[in-house]
Amino acid sequence: MISTDATSGGTAAAPRDFKSPLKPIWCPGCGDYGVLNALYRALAAIGRPPHEIAFVSGIGCSSRIPGYTTAYGFNTVHGRALPIAQGIKLASPELLVLVAGGDGDGFSIGGGHVPHAIRRNPDLTYIVMDNQVYGLTKGQVSPTSPRGTRARSSVYGSMESPVNPLLYTLAYGAGFVAQGIPGDLDGLAAMIEEGIRYPGFAFINVQSPCVSFGEPDNQVKVQRTRMRKLAAEGHDPSNRLRAIELAQDYGQELYTGVFYRNPNPPPTHGCQIKALQDERKALQAGVTITPTLSATDPHPTCC
Amino acid sequence: MNDLIIGMAGSGGDGIISAGESLIGAVAAEGYYGMLTKSYGPQIRGGESSCRLRVSTLPVLNPGGSLDVAVILDWDDFLRFGSELPVTENTVIIFDLKSGVDRTSLPIKGLWPKVLCGVPLEDMAIKAAGVQQAKNSVILGLLAGWLGLSPDNLLAGLRKKFARKGDEVLQGNERAFATGLTHAHNHPLGRNLRLAHPTAPLKRRVIADGNELCAKGAIAAGCTFFGGYPITPATEIMQHLQADLWEHGGVVLQAEDEIAGVGAALGASFAGKKAMTATSGPGLSLKTEMLGLASVTELPLVCVNVQRGGPSTGMPTKCEQADLFAAVFSAHGDTVRPVLAPTTVADTYGLTVEAFNLAEQYQTPVILLSDQDIAQRKEIIDPIDPSLLRLVNRLEPTTAELKDYTRFRLTPSGISPLSHPGMKGGNYLAAGIEHDERGAPTANGEMHGEMNHKRLVKFLPLRRRHDLFVMEGDPDSPLGIIAWGSVAGIALEALRIVRAEGLDARLMIPKLLYPIAEEVFADFFAPLTRCIVFEQSHQGQLYRLIRMWVNVPQQFESYARSGANPLSPEDFVSQIRKLSRAGLRKEHADRADFLNPL
Repeated sequence: MISTDATSGGTAAAPRDFKSPLKPIWCPGCGDYGVLNALYRALAAIGRPPHEIAFVSGIGCSSRIPGYTTAYGFNTVHGRALPIAQGIKLASPELLVLVAGGDGDGFSIGGGHVPHAIRRNPDLTYIVMDNQVYGLTKGQVSPTSPRGTRARSSVYGSMESPVNPLLYTLAYGAGFVAQGIPGDLDGLAAMIEEGIRYPGFAFINVQSPCVSFGEPDNQVKVQRTRMRKLAAEGHDPSNRLRAIELAQDYGQELYTGVFYRNPNPPPTHGCQIKALQDERKALQAGVTITPTLSATDPHPTCC
Repeated sequence: MNDLIIGMAGSGGDGIISAGESLIGAVAAEGYYGMLTKSYGPQIRGGESSCRLRVSTLPVLNPGGSLDVAVILDWDDFLRFGSELPVTENTVIIFDLKSGVDRTSLPIKGLWPKVLCGVPLEDMAIKAAGVQQAKNSVILGLLAGWLGLSPDNLLAGLRKKFARKGDEVLQGNERAFATGLTHAHNHPLGRNLRLAHPTAPLKRRVIADGNELCAKGAIAAGCTFFGGYPITPATEIMQHLQADLWEHGGVVLQAEDEIAGVGAALGASFAGKKAMTATSGPGLSLKTEMLGLASVTELPLVCVNVQRGGPSTGMPTKCEQADLFAAVFSAHGDTVRPVLAPTTVADTYGLTVEAFNLAEQYQTPVILLSDQDIAQRKEIIDPIDPSLLRLVNRLEPTTAELKDYTRFRLTPSGISPLSHPGMKGGNYLAAGIEHDERGAPTANGEMHGEMNHKRLVKFLPLRRRHDLFVMEGDPDSPLGIIAWGSVAGIALEALRIVRAEGLDARLMIPKLLYPIAEEVFADFFAPLTRCIVFEQSHQGQLYRLIRMWVNVPQQFESYARSGANPLSPEDFVSQIRKLSRAGLRKEHADRADFLNPL
């Protein structure tokens, strides 16, 4: 029996329950190992059995991650994880749906899908492993590489200023935006768990270093010394304007924690759809029902 | 008359299309069959618009050739449609006297119509209703009189149409209609246009277009998810589903682009639901990567492609059959996906169901290759009984199989049970990357070969799907005809004409275009020495596809025309006669030039 709430009704689970027998192809020292371990912990804390989880990714080193879990995985095509994940969630709202990929997958080839996912507000969690480089194709500049990055595709330095994933998602109205690092496993696991529990679209940017093609001063150990925990600095995650201000420092300061959590989450896409389906079904059956959604009550019971 | 073709043209706002719709509704109520096609200039509003209505006592197979009646509100507008509204000296030409045109100043050079009838349409409308917009009601009155249609049905249609516009507008139009009717009675035409009584028993019939029946077919097939993006001429499929799918517990997603539309549909299929997307040429190009993902992950998916003129933006409002190669070949890797093509409006319903069935049975994307003509023309059809449909659902793993689930197990049929999220024990990794039987990524050549074999061998039963082909005519005749999609109805009428003249021929209408059903084609070709393929593309794409896969008759010809060039039964008849008389070539043509002689 599948529970109807994405984050409750589970039984006690251990992180190892979510670990698949496949051995990751990642390089030793890759930040993605930390993300995977944090995810195992978060899923154990949530407690939904693996068969009630759909884990969707695009293409890239990090997009291999669904295969390393025991969930239903869908390693799709480059940049299209979000639309596919939304289809899954709309078709089976009872599932816990996770999406993951790299910065190139999410903000270059797939960048056009992010705003629309945010507009619809499906209840899914999107984890981007942001390493500022294309690792799978062996070291080209990515949409989050700083201007002037010298890489194989820009031997004289890149000319584009980077996309700021935090600002990007905040500006489009994402209800949950956070940033973590693999070196802070406890913080990252808690953040992923919180993102999953958030009723709506949750975005988590993980500064996950590339050990082979990334900058030497941005590796797991260095990051630990540079990170500034937002909670420790007294940031109030319900303050969107302050979150936007802090997000401006992407690429300069390494803030970790929740930038923004909407204190009044709007109805999710699935919730609005269920209301419409119920209304249409009732009309067909000749019954009138009180709409679950109205302007005055933005928090219908199904959310 | 048993069969009548009426063409009307005017400026946007003249209500030409609306008059056509009123007329088809009225003839349907009287028990006739009919087909209404509409054509517009490129403008969004205004500009020229036209429609043609073919009314018959028997089911109508195609929009027909030259007009029996032309109603011309504006000569310039009429002439812009050129060969879409062809007239001959036998065409009864009815035009607005306001144009100032008379027998000596007809703007069509060399045409001397036997019946030319000027009517003061605008003056009559203004006199009866006070506004010239009531012209189309005058026309309906005229046609009711000259064709012998019951005024009651047309008046009922007018009342329905103008119900929301208030009594004044309705009464004005009723007076305009009455004026037209009286005028027709007082001015008999030089040619009798009265329709013969319908031969089929009067029963409830349905007026529908292909896009509407595609949507209804999808619902009947059990589709609960649609993801798409607006594109002419496929948009109405999404709109019909938007109105109807919710109460079936379904979801319609107008996505941010074509890729997201098909992606969401594929996600829904992964989640265990029957899902569909619909598009036209440029959208198909965008969706091809996702269709490849559906092929390699072996997930059912229906993609409707309503063909329009191409390449690129091409001619969005015109019909063409030039997306066949794209439907068949626009995938990288060793990919095969079934391609189906409906041949009539009614056929779209059943074939949409068949597309879902094939998708579910073979765990594959299926392309339903409709075309603008079928998708947007309205036909009077007999009601369809959904209880006769056979529905296929995907093969799911048994409880025993779930104990040690192997998603991509190599089976003799190539089909392996498919689980979905929520099914305990069915957990697997679906991936665009090549995989082994358990779904684990692999780059092993041997496994890749075996998986390719699995993904192709499952389609072998399609070679024998005789039921997806319509055969008509003499099975022993050495003369063969092939036509598909909306062109099939034209070929069918041409066949009936030549057979009535004593020339025997055999027509094959494939609804399964790919994979080429080798056994069916071999059976059809066996007695043939000559065969001609009719289609609406410049290269003759089906002709070439057939040559790629099966041995063809000694004389195998293509008659192909670029889109937006009307094809008529008369045209086909002359081609069939020509082929029957031609001396047999001694050898096969050794190559097919991509430039067809026009």
